[in-house]
Amino acid sequence: MKTEITDFKGNKRIKITGDIDMHTSPELREVLLSIIKKSKNQCVCVDFTDVTYIDSSGIATFVEGLKAIRASGSRLFFYGLPESIMEIFRFSRLDRVFEIFRTFEDAFGI
Amino acid sequence: MEKAIEVENLVTHYGDREILKNISFSIPKGSITVILGGSGCGKSTLLKHLIGLLKPTSGRIIIKGNDITKMNEDQMNEIRKKMGILFQGAALLNSMTILDNVALPLHEHTKLKESTIEIMVRMKLDLVGLSGFDSFYPSQLSGGMKKRAGLARALALDPEMLFFDEPSAGLDPVTAAGLDELIIKLNKVFRMTIIVVTHELPSVFKIADYVIMLDKGYVIFSGTLNELKTSDNPRIRMFLERQPEEEKYSPDDYFKVIAGE
Repeated sequence: MKTEITDFKGNKRIKITGDIDMHTSPELREVLLSIIKKSKNQCVCVDFTDVTYIDSSGIATFVEGLKAIRASGSRLFFYGLPESIMEIFRFSRLDRVFEIFRTFEDAFGI
Repeated sequence: MEKAIEVENLVTHYGDREILKNISFSIPKGSITVILGGSGCGKSTLLKHLIGLLKPTSGRIIIKGNDITKMNEDQMNEIRKKMGILFQGAALLNSMTILDNVALPLHEHTKLKESTIEIMVRMKLDLVGLSGFDSFYPSQLSGGMKKRAGLARALALDPEMLFFDEPSAGLDPVTAAGLDELIIKLNKVFRMTIIVVTHELPSVFKIADYVIMLDKGYVIFSGTLNELKTSDNPRIRMFLERQPEEEKYSPDDYFKVIAGE
């Protein structure tokens, strides 16, 4: 798994490439929580376009992220989820907990 | 058909008694395979071989290109990380809460933080309908709940292959049907290869994509559920139509057996 962080109009974008699994989740957790810790009234958006797999440790990591970001007043949202990953979010009913958009443009309304 | 497991010429004994008699078959990847057969036909013994708990007398069991019958315990433990197993009695540790039971494989095999593990455990418990039971001990749960807690633990490491030994045993029909639904969902959403050992026909008809039938230590059928239903093999018909075995002895022979003659 690889993460790439970029700025967009004062917001943060995390692009993830590869598998999010029990081996890579601890690294993702570190990246995600450190960005959230520094964010204030910002959007942190995660680009899932090139995520090939996510297991329950990955989902749990994002749940931790959402919990932390709610306390900071910022927003966490996702876009570009491949159908197989969207299905896992739907199955665990987390598609109704996370803000999920089809594209980056949809997410930012541009 | 991509194969998850290949069994080749497997022979196994308990003492002098031959249990599995040179059996060969494959289990397709990503589907629900039911290993079916009457009591004492060797199906639970076969399951123990598939998960590497027993070593056969001879034969090979190929998983991911490796013969697991030749593996040592450390190599086998690596393979088992990708396997989830629900035993008949759920095999929970009575001195631990349900949360700790489900978290155990995650503590043993991952470097995940405690906060992540707790969320994962709650997700698994919710999946099996046990939300809110984290702090209960196994002795405080009903048989069906214990089984579901055992399933949550089997799912802890997001296995590629999930094995069930008689999942419906001891459950009422409604709870058993709920477990069948869950097995189907796990297969569809997570594309898990699921192997279920059972003799419960309603369950077989509901969940099976593929069936392997054992009889007296032999594989008498392997194929799709539809092929099973249309088979004209007399032993299969007998099983599917729930016909009893013919009497073992004539009255004279019976007398000789009990009289010790």
